[in-house]
Amino acid sequence: MRGWLLAAPALLVIGLGFLLPVGVLFRISLNRTDEGGAMQADLTTETYARLLADDFIAGLAWDTVILAGGCAAAATLLALPLALVVRAAPPVWRGPLALAAIAPLMVSGTGRIVGWLAILGDFGIVNGALAMLGLPEQRLINNWTGVRIGLTESLMPYAVLVLLAGLGRLDPLFDEAAATLGAGRTRTFLRVTLPLAAPALLAAFALTLVLGISAFITPRLMGGGRVFVIATEIYDLALEMVDWPAAAALAMLLLVALAALLLLRSLLPGGQR
Amino acid sequence: MSAYLSLAGLTRRFGSAPPAVDRLSLDLDRGELLALLGPSGCGKTTTLRLLAGLERADAGRILVGGRNVTDLPPEVRNMGVVFQSYALFPHMTAAENVAFGLESRGIRRREREARVAEVLEMVGLSALAQRKPRQMSGGQQQRVALARALAIRPDLLLLDEPLSALDAQLRDGVREEIRALQRRLGTTTVFVTHDQAEALALADLVAVIDRGRLEQIAPPEELFERPATPFVARFVGRSTAFAGVVEAPGRVRIGGTLLAAAETPRPGPAEVFIRPHRVQLGAEGDLPVEVTLRTYEGAMALLTLATPFGTLLAELPAAAGHRPGDRLRMTLPADALRVFAA
Repeated sequence: MRGWLLAAPALLVIGLGFLLPVGVLFRISLNRTDEGGAMQADLTTETYARLLADDFIAGLAWDTVILAGGCAAAATLLALPLALVVRAAPPVWRGPLALAAIAPLMVSGTGRIVGWLAILGDFGIVNGALAMLGLPEQRLINNWTGVRIGLTESLMPYAVLVLLAGLGRLDPLFDEAAATLGAGRTRTFLRVTLPLAAPALLAAFALTLVLGISAFITPRLMGGGRVFVIATEIYDLALEMVDWPAAAALAMLLLVALAALLLLRSLLPGGQR
Repeated sequence: MSAYLSLAGLTRRFGSAPPAVDRLSLDLDRGELLALLGPSGCGKTTTLRLLAGLERADAGRILVGGRNVTDLPPEVRNMGVVFQSYALFPHMTAAENVAFGLESRGIRRREREARVAEVLEMVGLSALAQRKPRQMSGGQQQRVALARALAIRPDLLLLDEPLSALDAQLRDGVREEIRALQRRLGTTTVFVTHDQAEALALADLVAVIDRGRLEQIAPPEELFERPATPFVARFVGRSTAFAGVVEAPGRVRIGGTLLAAAETPRPGPAEVFIRPHRVQLGAEGDLPVEVTLRTYEGAMALLTLATPFGTLLAELPAAAGHRPGDRLRMTLPADALRVFAA
């Protein structure tokens, strides 16, 4: 009983801040939009049926999954060496290094994107350097490339966090044991480090995939209105088309898909760790 | 014949602290088993890591079979290491763990499998070859670690506290197995321990280390009976220590009692150690004593004696039936006393 009492504030926050809005959202998704574009109270699953049959939405979902999957994989692979460096560092340095690796979390998403604009923009640092070398200018912003770069970067700190927590099985002693058995760095990495890091890599990929699928700010701002994913579509439906039932239904579908993804992972071997 | 393993002036410092290993020099013949014995933090594990190449020497040199390995990285040293916590790869079976070192050496599958089977057979684990480490008991894991280290046919077998993680009941058995295996294979072996009984029982030579320095290296019996320094006398075996004075060669005074000692330093203040098992009690003897305390230890009993020169421990067969309050006579053979200049 006492445990419940201690959890009460958290339950209250989750209830009021998450479950209640989701309930409201679900209710709205069952309403109907009439020909004039006004929302009519109803109890129909017609909107769901319409969305699920919509080829445009299916295409968006595919693009979203490919984008998020690629960025999650890239973020996880880029985070692995970072996490390994932090783990191998002398204990005094581990804290500051870990903090540095997740420092991007402390900058607001918008601020980070403004930074990327300065780097990747048509007159940004990268194109300036390319111009100096006499190489052709690259379009790195307001397109899929920009979104891929920005999303990968924004997911990396989460991947580092998960890896740092999940690499507990990776005792540095294993590296030493492998060395005394005659294994060089490459063999040790492939045969010892990587297999032992696999559960953590999977966990990092799953989390960043979910975050990537639901990402809104990066596709919206770095895509320059030319990149469409499920999250931007929900925004457009709600605020541009003012079709609330459709926006709500799409949001519910996304929520269910993400929940199913996380459930699937926890059922996979090694997923419970 | 020159020694197989030779350490000369080996030194390792960590930061500005006193050296963890301080100008360590010792020699070991091929096929012998050396114990590095000392209290925790004395530098014995660092010495083992220096031998394995897991630590870099700040000074000095390590020769194995005439080859200078001081600056070689661990992967080319060919040293079989059994870590204190075994460090078995948790995602590999026992057989895969044992095969790992052979794979690294590019040994072909057919020969590899034969050697893995042979080594697992040797440690009596053939039936468990396909088990993962977490499906095995501590003793079984220890044997896998031993098999893994032996499979590479190492120039030197290095064991870090090999028995410390085992139950007391298992320890004696495993100790004998390691000894028998080492004898059979003739692998020159160095092992680290803080347990003097283990060192005395297992080793051909025992090196006692204190604060990074070699105190004494000797066969177990010599170490026990003729400790070379006060530290060794105190650390190895039980003894009672007294402050005394060497009055003349072979003559030591403790309090008001003059005792005969086989070997004495120059006349002057001295530290005197008397081993409990060398004390003789009976109806006849040089000094009157009274038993004040008796601790029964099975075959032997440890007696606390009030003597004219102070309290002394004596170890005698429990069957002798001494009781607190007994008044007896005591004789101390001259070679029962180890005397060091204070």
